[in-house]
Amino acid sequence: MSEASRCNMWAEFATGELALVAARSLRESGYDRLEAITPYPMPELEKVLGLKRPYLLLALVLLAAFVGGGLAFLLMWWTAARSYPLNVGGRPLNSFVTDIPIMFESAVLCAALTAFLGTLFVSGMPQLHHPLDSIPGFSRTSIDRFWIGVNEDEGEPRDRLSVALERLGALHVHRMVEGASE
Amino acid sequence: MSIAGVDESRTWPAPDRSAPPDELALLPHAQSDASLTAELLDKVLHPPRWLGWAILATGTGSTLLLAAVVYTLITGIGVWGNNIPVAWAFGITNFVWWIGIGHAGTFISAFLLLLEQKWRTSINRFAEAMTLFAVVQAGLFPLLHMGRAWFFYWLIPYPSTMNVWPQFRSSLTWDVAAVSTYLTVSLLFWYLGLIPDLAAMRDYAPERWRKKLYAIFALGWHGSASTWRRHRIAYGVLAGLAAPLVVSVHSIVSMDFAIGVLPGWHSTIFPPYFVAGAIYSGFAMVLTLLIPTRRLYHLQHVITTDHLDKMAKMLLVTGSVVTYAYLVEIYLAWVGGDSFERHMMLEVRPRGQFAPLFWTVIACNCGSPLLLWSRRVRRSALCLFALSLSIQLGMWLERLMLIITSLSADFLPSIAHGYRPTLIDGALLFGTLSFFSFLFLLFLRFVPFIPVSELKALGYELRGRT
Repeated sequence: MSEASRCNMWAEFATGELALVAARSLRESGYDRLEAITPYPMPELEKVLGLKRPYLLLALVLLAAFVGGGLAFLLMWWTAARSYPLNVGGRPLNSFVTDIPIMFESAVLCAALTAFLGTLFVSGMPQLHHPLDSIPGFSRTSIDRFWIGVNEDEGEPRDRLSVALERLGALHVHRMVEGASE
Repeated sequence: MSIAGVDESRTWPAPDRSAPPDELALLPHAQSDASLTAELLDKVLHPPRWLGWAILATGTGSTLLLAAVVYTLITGIGVWGNNIPVAWAFGITNFVWWIGIGHAGTFISAFLLLLEQKWRTSINRFAEAMTLFAVVQAGLFPLLHMGRAWFFYWLIPYPSTMNVWPQFRSSLTWDVAAVSTYLTVSLLFWYLGLIPDLAAMRDYAPERWRKKLYAIFALGWHGSASTWRRHRIAYGVLAGLAAPLVVSVHSIVSMDFAIGVLPGWHSTIFPPYFVAGAIYSGFAMVLTLLIPTRRLYHLQHVITTDHLDKMAKMLLVTGSVVTYAYLVEIYLAWVGGDSFERHMMLEVRPRGQFAPLFWTVIACNCGSPLLLWSRRVRRSALCLFALSLSIQLGMWLERLMLIITSLSADFLPSIAHGYRPTLIDGALLFGTLSFFSFLFLLFLRFVPFIPVSELKALGYELRGRT
């Protein structure tokens, strides 16, 4: 389940600047579980939403690099020095220097695969359907629309948040009910 | 064409003239997000009419490659001009040349991303695709050169009934690891950057079949802020991994030569010299592809004259490094005291039977880039196009010269032997050129080849400074 489905109120904005201002003022009024959907990355917005660095993913990438390099070394050591020792002009069987290129390549390969697949997995991709797809006109998001998602508190007066969002410049406000647009 | 409901009259504030003019020049007309997206995606949805014919022509040319490969496989590599002692010739020349061309894409994407060079945005996807297609061509040659290409899997360490393993102390096995890793990482890097634009394509394309096709490859991308953040960081990580990889691949290729003891090969300068040469030829290939595409697709406001100017400066830098490497190579041979090395560098190459090759290499690789000191040449698309072709010819001949001079006259005069390529050698080279162009044209036909979301982000960032 992706982060986007945590929020039950979604507001559409025409520009990134408006969405940024709206996110800031929502944050200041105490809504802290915000999410945004944008056509391109907006580092300032990420800051307002309080997103952390994906430390776990980065740690996994580092780990994968060490595992990849280590496994490559073990394979080369075992095949050249243990399983099938072959004397080539008296050169050492366990020759670390000649193992370096393949260890490096293997480390990079494992780290890159982890970074790629890890990013997709943590982001919930590949994904066939998304609840927000049911909002009419949502597909323009990848072109030039900006959405801010808020979680309406239980027992909050029904229209308070949507009126506030419209005052912040939202073109439309949608309330999501059980994974679909109301 | 406009998207239904897009307010075309919406305008952005005029760009601030106090911002650095260099970066403003990279911002395409300060267009709105919608019109920029529509313009760039329409280039893919409504391709120019010549594209179909060009795809057909290069596809036909590629059948020559297929025929030459099949003929080589059925008959054996005796149909090539290779002999003993010149056991490496066109095959390895083509391999090194194509791999070298494949370096610029990842260099542009990875190094220039890490160095925050904003001008890379318009051309990086282009260059990365070129990398992938060039590496595909390169991979063909070592496979065929093995003679029995169907046993290629003997290069992979698997527990076989023969109880033997690949010899990892040989630089040829390093090549397998380097080239396959490079292809995989370049593909991941390219695809990761492409996903947001495939999503835009999915949402923008009018036909249902296209929507479905792009939806499959977009993997359900929605662009939530947290996904963008991870995407951005992962893209940076991949760039950080790809940058040393670019350097490692051609270093390892050069070790195929440097580990050997032949005069003219056995030199520690080879890795940096090869890497510089690779990036040099790769940048030339990017220009060769970029200049016609820019003109035929009317992209002069996205890929500006400033972009060409910067690419030309990169050519000048790498060309100078290559020239310096040539000089050092000759100087080391001269002072090194090895009489075979000295004979190779001072007699065989400049004055032997292959001397015309040597002097063409010097003219193309060291002479022609000197024109780039002139600002007018750097900003003239036609001059750059001609120069890029001359540099590619020079770099191809350089590898041929390096291989056939050292192999044809090594230590014993009694085994010296000349070299002459066959028609099949020529067909393979021409065939890979066609196949490369074919793949590249298919890329132009189906993939958003200018990174739309990155350009929009750049536009937003530059507007933010006003």
